[in-house]
Amino acid sequence: MRDTVDPEFASYVDARQGKWLRAAYLVYADLDRAEEQLRHAFTRLALRWGKVDDPDVFVQRILYDPALSRWSRAKAQPVDDDEHPVRVALAGLSPVQRAVFVLLHLEELTEFEVADVLNLSHTTVHGHGLSALNQFRSALGAGDQRDTRRRDWR
Amino acid sequence: MRREDVRPLLSQAADGTPEPDLADAAWTAAVAIRRRRRRSVVIALVAVLVIGAAAALVAALGGGKAAITPPTTPPSGPPGFVRPAGQIAGIDFWIAPPSGSERYLDPLDTPLGETLKLPDDPKSLQEAPIERIAAVVLGNHSGAYEPLLLGNDGHWARAEVRLSAISTGAPLSSGAVSPSGELVAFPQPGAVQVLSVVSSQAREISLPTQDLRSVSWLPDDNRIIVSGPDAAYRVLLADGSKGERGVTPVEPSGDPEEETSPYRLSGSGGRVALAGYSIANGWTSHTAVQLPVESWVGQTLAGGGTAARLFISGQLSELPTADLQPQVVAAISLQGAEQSRLLVLGSSPPPTAGTVAPAVDRPPGCCLVLGWYDDNTVLVQVQGWVISWGVLTGQVRRVTELEVSGVALGPGVRG
Repeated sequence: MRDTVDPEFASYVDARQGKWLRAAYLVYADLDRAEEQLRHAFTRLALRWGKVDDPDVFVQRILYDPALSRWSRAKAQPVDDDEHPVRVALAGLSPVQRAVFVLLHLEELTEFEVADVLNLSHTTVHGHGLSALNQFRSALGAGDQRDTRRRDWR
Repeated sequence: MRREDVRPLLSQAADGTPEPDLADAAWTAAVAIRRRRRRSVVIALVAVLVIGAAAALVAALGGGKAAITPPTTPPSGPPGFVRPAGQIAGIDFWIAPPSGSERYLDPLDTPLGETLKLPDDPKSLQEAPIERIAAVVLGNHSGAYEPLLLGNDGHWARAEVRLSAISTGAPLSSGAVSPSGELVAFPQPGAVQVLSVVSSQAREISLPTQDLRSVSWLPDDNRIIVSGPDAAYRVLLADGSKGERGVTPVEPSGDPEEETSPYRLSGSGGRVALAGYSIANGWTSHTAVQLPVESWVGQTLAGGGTAARLFISGQLSELPTADLQPQVVAAISLQGAEQSRLLVLGSSPPPTAGTVAPAVDRPPGCCLVLGWYDDNTVLVQVQGWVISWGVLTGQVRRVTELEVSGVALGPGVRG
């Protein structure tokens, strides 16, 4: 392993670090922790640089692993009154819901891709995604869409 | 709210997040981790090599399976063998523990007990008969001596005999007890007193010389050699061979403790002779060894084919510490120097800085051979103690602490 940073690795990190830091910030609700977790994920990637089949999945698995762990889940941060309403709405979700919700709607991954990244079943991802969306809507005063759909189906 | 509206809301909430620069930091951290891992691997390898080398060393030095491999050569000595300190004139010698350390030696079990002292109120020999004598001491009653006998079963008895002092004081000789342990003889001025523990009877046999100092029994339990500085006699107790007189003069040597039977060790100036006594021929030399004897102390006492006597030597260069007049117990075998052994009674080591010299020491003349526990164990009186010395093993043990001025031992000491 060379002492100076590999140019290809530097290009890869530069292209993704901003996007993934914002996603991690929404999941962990703590910018320092999000940055630390992202740096840790890139460090692990650097150790295996050139040997990993899908670097994106590799990094994102490490990035969101604490959110899924029973013992080190990302705790909801205390919400200030002047906090952004979206962050207030996200704080009402569980860590797993937040991770699924952010990956689905900010990263625009499919449910199958989210299931692959988070090592969850597709059914679980679908359930978390649906419940998270409804809680998010409710928190922002937009109502529960499931009730509307049920009415439409009748 | 539609699904398509969520993404702009999330992007808006994450706006203002600073742009990080993580490539360099992540790569540097990865390099550090890689170096740390390599260092750990090297340390682990070195540790495994060191442990392996140590295990190989232990195995090579006798540990592991090698330790339980039975030896191919027989042991060089009997059980408990102590390696000799060296050789003096071709004879193996050991050095006894220093004076003052006797209390801490391993004990030898005898009827003498932990401490040998005068009994408070012993019964008479008629009331408490003794089978075999283990020890004889003398009680002093206004100038007269009373024999006090310790039996092989550990009980004391007093003899109804009064003994007179001889020219050297108490009339007790190391060779006083007969080989059977049933008779004991005391030198008296112009006589010898013989006491039987079987009959509780004493018999006094008059001799032509007044100054008599030591007695020594022949193996037949029927004759005694009584000697003084000027004369020595062989005394017959019961019936002897045809024509043998009751008292027969034998050749004196000038040392009243030298005339002993069945063997005597004598000689000085380098040549020591082991002579055996026979009724027909007197003392005839069996073997001779070279020893730096300056003077002898006490009598010669024999066990099996070995005779033991203590001598004071000139300075011995073979000793690790300088001692001007070391005392040496010589156990000389009939088979010559190869089977003979020596025990050097070392004096106390000099005090270290800040300490005082021990109160007890072993001045020349303090010590003497008292007898044999068995054919291979000599009993030696040292300053205030009786110790034993195994001539085959070299082991020195404590027998008893002495609170009497003198003692003669008999075969009952084996119990």
